[in-house]
Amino acid sequence: MKTQSAINTYVKEIGGWAASQLEACTRCGLCADACHFYQATGNPEYTPVWKTEPLRRAYEQRFTIAGRLKLAVGLDKPVTDEDLKHWSTIVYEACTLCNKCAMVCPMGIQLGPLIHDVRSGMAAAGVVPGDLVAATMKQKDVGSPLGVTDKTWAERMEWIGDEWEVKIPMDVQSADTLVVFTSIELMKFPDNIAAIAKIMDKAGEKWTTSSKGREVVNFGYFEADEELTKLFLSRVFDAAKELGVKRIMISECGHAYDAFRWTAANIMDMPKNVAITHIAQVMHDFWKAGRIRLKKGAYDDGTVTFHDSCKIQRRGGIIKEPREILKWLAPSSFKEMTPNKEQALCCGGGGGVISIQEADPLRFAVFGMKVDQMKEIGAKSVCMVCSNCRLQFTEGVAHFGSDVKVRGLSEMVSQALE
Amino acid sequence: MDWTEILQFFRGSFFKISLLVFVGGMTYRLVRILLLGWPRDRVKSRGSKATGVVKTYLKGLLVLPFIPWVKRTFNKNALTYIAGGLFHLSLVLVIFFATPHMLVWKSLLGFGWPTLSFPVSDWLAAIGIIALIVLLINRLTHPVLKLLTRSPLWLNWTLVFLPFVTGYAMTHHMLFRYEVLFGLHMITVDVLLIWIPLGRISHFLFYFFSRTIHGAQAGKRAVTP
Repeated sequence: MKTQSAINTYVKEIGGWAASQLEACTRCGLCADACHFYQATGNPEYTPVWKTEPLRRAYEQRFTIAGRLKLAVGLDKPVTDEDLKHWSTIVYEACTLCNKCAMVCPMGIQLGPLIHDVRSGMAAAGVVPGDLVAATMKQKDVGSPLGVTDKTWAERMEWIGDEWEVKIPMDVQSADTLVVFTSIELMKFPDNIAAIAKIMDKAGEKWTTSSKGREVVNFGYFEADEELTKLFLSRVFDAAKELGVKRIMISECGHAYDAFRWTAANIMDMPKNVAITHIAQVMHDFWKAGRIRLKKGAYDDGTVTFHDSCKIQRRGGIIKEPREILKWLAPSSFKEMTPNKEQALCCGGGGGVISIQEADPLRFAVFGMKVDQMKEIGAKSVCMVCSNCRLQFTEGVAHFGSDVKVRGLSEMVSQALE
Repeated sequence: MDWTEILQFFRGSFFKISLLVFVGGMTYRLVRILLLGWPRDRVKSRGSKATGVVKTYLKGLLVLPFIPWVKRTFNKNALTYIAGGLFHLSLVLVIFFATPHMLVWKSLLGFGWPTLSFPVSDWLAAIGIIALIVLLINRLTHPVLKLLTRSPLWLNWTLVFLPFVTGYAMTHHMLFRYEVLFGLHMITVDVLLIWIPLGRISHFLFYFFSRTIHGAQAGKRAVTP
């Protein structure tokens, strides 16, 4: 029965877009070595295209003559309940949807989005790792995957305001920019919230937070449950409409940026004339427009490197902006890891993986490669624009006993303000 | 029926039938995909989709085949890149630029073009055959490829390999009489043509879909594809 709901979802999802790409695969296996999970473990089941196997079977067996023939004569297998369970651990625990595989595929197949489609069948069938479901339910019921209630949120924001001596406006009508933070920042990296507040203030931006649209993370999107994805997006969109803002600024969060910027318009109605932007872009714009001034060379005391977050850089395009800022802040000590930019190696914490305890050994194994990359260039500190990556880095660096300092770009910028 | 008659049949009427099956089958595959529905992308672009598409084709056709290491996964799969690349190079050049093949195209299209000298196309064919064997061994031994390979793929390999070896043997008068080898070459070519629309060899058509999608996805985000 489970399988049927998964297959129904796949059938619904398969249009020319997915089908033509599934048809293009020649099973060359080159995507395996693009995948950090395969590289770290050597498990062939982590080959990206193998992760799309349930979708391929559903497609071929339902839509193609050859597929139906193969099924009839026993050359192909139908998708079973056991298969779903098996692939559920593969697509949720050993994939961050980072889409590096698409950059390596000779055919250019968008494996990340296709694996997201595979996940949506799992979500429909209810075969999602327990930890992920628990967090999603918390977000649905309480409003935050970490279980932050309205009261805690307001108290915590007030505390951050007091502690760092910054103004954090709340529910300001007709502000220009609605800034939405993540629970990770709220609970684990409050310095980032303070930093962003300081930058917005310094730039003279009319901005606000919203008590209704207070969570930018979207666990429905991690699960690939479209209804929940829309529900969590709509909370922020409704807040934006109510407050009459001109734009929504996503704080340091990658998956959220992907959901708001690149997915929302295709799955739901978005508020009209409300732009979506990301803090990395906004900081750069402020700086270029002269609205904030940064101390040149403020961080020139030891090699600084930048970690490309898959959803903000490779899948978001904000590649040159943070680099320009860093080259200003650390002109002689900024160094790139290899590979970088759109070819960068994912940290292993994205796509919801970090919230699944069972996947801890995997994500640390993957992070080992990141540690090596940083060692190669002798990095003293690493900076990024995604709190999910930052959490993975903070835990990963501790796990490997590395002394690299992990920072958010906003936090660095705020301390270099002149 | 002797081999001369067999040859006449498989290079004559049956070749035409195979061609029709090939063209008809591929047209069916194309139309089927086009009719599956293509929802409009309502997301506002950051860059240009068209630029992304142009870049990805230039990169895919001019850069990667010659300097594959820009992908940075080259050293881990050098065999697949080199053998795969050489096989495709050999295939395209031999099919279109070996003199006897060009003459077949000329008879079908009504016009011809300059061709490669015999030693060049001969070496290319030999490279293609060696590449195919290397790729087969790789597929039989690499854990990822063993997992990914399903039975029709072995048939794909066999059906591509046979026209190559029969063609090569024929031009070198190896093993059998010329008519026999030519007959076998035409039989295997005909079977291959009929098989292509049924299997994954049809990827040459879908390559244009996936590459275009890739370029558009990168372009709209202003990322280098």
